[in-house]
Amino acid sequence: MGQNTGEVGDRRNGVRRRQFVAATGVATVGVLAGCLGNGGNGSGDGEEVGGNGNGDANGGGDRVVDAEPGGEPVDSTAVSWDDLGDLEGQITIYSGRTRDQIDPVFEALEAEYDGLDIELFYDDNDVQVNQILQEGEATVADLMYSQDPGALNELEANDALQELPADVVDAVPASYRHPDGLWTGVTGRTRSIIYNSDRLDETGLEDWEELPTDIMAFDTDDRLQGVISTRPNSGTFRGFIQAMVELEGEPETREWVRGMIDHQDVQLFSGGSSQAEAINRGGDDDPVVGLGNSYYAARILNEDPDAPIRTTHTENDAGCLFSVAGVGVMNQVDDPELVAEFVRHLLAAEGQEFMMDANGEYPVVEGIDYVGPLPDLTEINPPEFDLSSFDMELQDAQDLLTEEGMTV
Amino acid sequence: MGTDGKMSSTPTDVETSRRPESIAERLRSVDPWMAALALSSALIALLVVSPMFWLVREAATVDPSRAYDLVVTSQTAWITVNSVVLMVAVTLLSILLGVPLAILTTRTDLPYPRAWTVVAALPLVIPSYIGAIAFVGMFGQGGELDTLFGVTVPRVDGLSGAVFIITLYTYPYVFLTTRAALLSMDGSLVDAARTLNAGPFEAFRRVTFPQIRPGIAAGALLAALYAVSDFGTPAFMGARVFTSTIYWEFGGFAVEYAALLAIQLIAIVAVVLVIEAGIGRDEDASGGTGDGSTIRLGAWKWPAMGFVSTIGAVTLVVPVAIFTNWLVRSEGDRIASLEFQPEFALNSVYLAVLAALVAAAFALPVAYYSGRVNSTISRLLERATYLGFAVPGIVIGLALVFLGTRTVPSLYRDGVALLVFAYVVRFLPQAVGTTRASVLGIDDTLLEAARTLDSGRIETFRRVTLPLIMPGVVAGAVLVFLTTMKELPMTLMLQPVGMDTLVIIIWEAQRGLYYRYAAIPALLLLVISGLTMIVSLRQEGYEIG
Repeated sequence: MGQNTGEVGDRRNGVRRRQFVAATGVATVGVLAGCLGNGGNGSGDGEEVGGNGNGDANGGGDRVVDAEPGGEPVDSTAVSWDDLGDLEGQITIYSGRTRDQIDPVFEALEAEYDGLDIELFYDDNDVQVNQILQEGEATVADLMYSQDPGALNELEANDALQELPADVVDAVPASYRHPDGLWTGVTGRTRSIIYNSDRLDETGLEDWEELPTDIMAFDTDDRLQGVISTRPNSGTFRGFIQAMVELEGEPETREWVRGMIDHQDVQLFSGGSSQAEAINRGGDDDPVVGLGNSYYAARILNEDPDAPIRTTHTENDAGCLFSVAGVGVMNQVDDPELVAEFVRHLLAAEGQEFMMDANGEYPVVEGIDYVGPLPDLTEINPPEFDLSSFDMELQDAQDLLTEEGMTV
Repeated sequence: MGTDGKMSSTPTDVETSRRPESIAERLRSVDPWMAALALSSALIALLVVSPMFWLVREAATVDPSRAYDLVVTSQTAWITVNSVVLMVAVTLLSILLGVPLAILTTRTDLPYPRAWTVVAALPLVIPSYIGAIAFVGMFGQGGELDTLFGVTVPRVDGLSGAVFIITLYTYPYVFLTTRAALLSMDGSLVDAARTLNAGPFEAFRRVTFPQIRPGIAAGALLAALYAVSDFGTPAFMGARVFTSTIYWEFGGFAVEYAALLAIQLIAIVAVVLVIEAGIGRDEDASGGTGDGSTIRLGAWKWPAMGFVSTIGAVTLVVPVAIFTNWLVRSEGDRIASLEFQPEFALNSVYLAVLAALVAAAFALPVAYYSGRVNSTISRLLERATYLGFAVPGIVIGLALVFLGTRTVPSLYRDGVALLVFAYVVRFLPQAVGTTRASVLGIDDTLLEAARTLDSGRIETFRRVTLPLIMPGVVAGAVLVFLTTMKELPMTLMLQPVGMDTLVIIIWEAQRGLYYRYAAIPALLLLVISGLTMIVSLRQEGYEIG
């Protein structure tokens, strides 16, 4: 791979130029498309890999799907970074995840490979997707690192993603990735019930053990009236609604949403951190219980080990839906081998372990065991789901919430 | 609207009444200097309004029947009412706070007027969503006040909470513009009124108020537009207004609905802009020299100082105390990429200085043209520059992502040009407003005198006009600097790689609950902005004498 460096740099410039030209005028785009259709790559100097065009309607000479592993391929066992090919060059990532979640693994990668330069742009997950879709062909991103599958599905639905290499796709169980390998989960987490352990007497419960283990009981349980909360504007919440529609049916889901609003007087938050903070603060007007992601509680406990916030799970329903954070590769990338090898590193043993440590998340690669403070996935028993193909479209889930009035 | 319209609407100051004329005659009567001014105003207005075309393009993709449904639902009616309530309430409360404060610091014998001026103006530099976070953490049962002192202050949330928070951080617009108007008005008029036996309130109502009305209106307009475009605060407080609904649609990747909502928001704002153009019409607020009489406060100076310091305590001490508390209290895993680096501050200042300079340069022709020529076109061009201030930053940001990648891809995410342009689109009216006010204050006889002395157009502008309007230009640049320092959404969307600013780090730390990393950037944001304000007020002090 080392001798390739010069070429990587040259080709990168070539691509940059092409993108510039492509975006300056419609007429030029037409000419360029013709050029790419012939399988040319613009720079013309000896390419070793790829460049067969792959017949993909989205254009682009080199496809990530054809990028041969630089070392060992990844698989469902724990492959080490040492066995993978070197990472050399520049890769640009749009991240909807926060710095604390992903920086440790990126810092470790840059420390491992001198020639690797990771350029990161952070923003809210939704903003990143909207931005990529507006950028279209001119996007500077190679990769989108998303907080949830919904955002990746949205990119895929708009033909913004390209297929991942076969070994990457095979390393991840089918339910944690796109069936055709257009995106893959990298780590996972479950939705959970968060509560303030000091405030039991403000609920109608005798013991926290009495919290319903069925999510479909949360909208009617009088003991939680006026003390429960959620955050309806997140990608994982929409995924939760989609899963509920699939598992329980749409009328039941609508009834649940209505019940949460009318009967339970659910308190709605626009941010996951403000929700978790309010639960932890424990004022009279603050909720005692919340439906949300467990990592906010984990962060509060990390900052203050005496904090009263705790988490628990429902059983085998949408309330403990296992969902992933993952990556999708943009249609046109400067260096397909680098991007492919980069994704392999995320799924290799060290990548999975860094994520586990930094976020308290579950690995998606079967051969890697979860080590951490949370209950094992087999104990939680989340429902089996193909995260890429809910019966319900994302927009329909959004509309359902708007129609039933659960918006912030 | 062709060139004809523009040309014919640019008569020089003297030649207005002679019509009808032949076209040739009219063309000859057109002053090339004014024509160039009109043309550059038009270009600037077109440039800053251009991102709005993206809104139309996006909104046009919505299925018409669906668009109709979206516009006429009870939900839309509800958020329209809420947005208007928010805007009107914030504007009125800002006037109620800002005007008395301006009078106290300029017209009375309040001790240490300059210090109080800084205290009263400083809340402008705090992003209102940071205020919101601070207040939510501070008030209410279980809040910081409750924990520390056992004092339970009712918590703030919902629409009234949003009105409260946004007012606290936007009233300085009214304060600053009213103060400028008071400083430049001829105080001897008030004395004259008093000698004619008018009481102090009568004198204020009949003499002072008409003189400072354009100043109040200019500040109130900025406060109103800020209130409807504020993104973070209403969402955080759970108030359902246009911006929070835009955010909701945005989150569901329904950008076209978000665009449609933004256009509705612009329609409301257009009405406000027309109304304000009527209120702020008094163009002849000519500058004066006399200091005028000073209101003696006597024993009232204590409650007066109490009033200013209470506002200062609420708006400044609360956030600062919370930031400091964050710094000392929390302990947890180290997050290397959030750790403070001086570059954060340098990047913030660099971007804000560029935005201030470009905005001041852009504002000059628009403000000068609309200030010297009172025609429909000149007013329309000036009003057009205000639209960007009313549209949430996230919408302008996305519009520039689309337009930027298609028109100047080499500048996209590479260098700061596009980001600085985005700031100018959003914040230009702050510079236009103050510059125009100072243009209106120019005494025509001075310019005529200069011209009778055979001084050329450019020479007169450079040696007479520019020095006269410089305080207004600087004040506008400072406002743009301060608002750019606290801007977040567009900075995130258009920043070149790795160009983290103070506010980006505050946002990142806050959303991850790693508050201790927010403390230093937040305090530094306050210090830098505060110093800028002090320096600009001091400079202004010299100008006024």
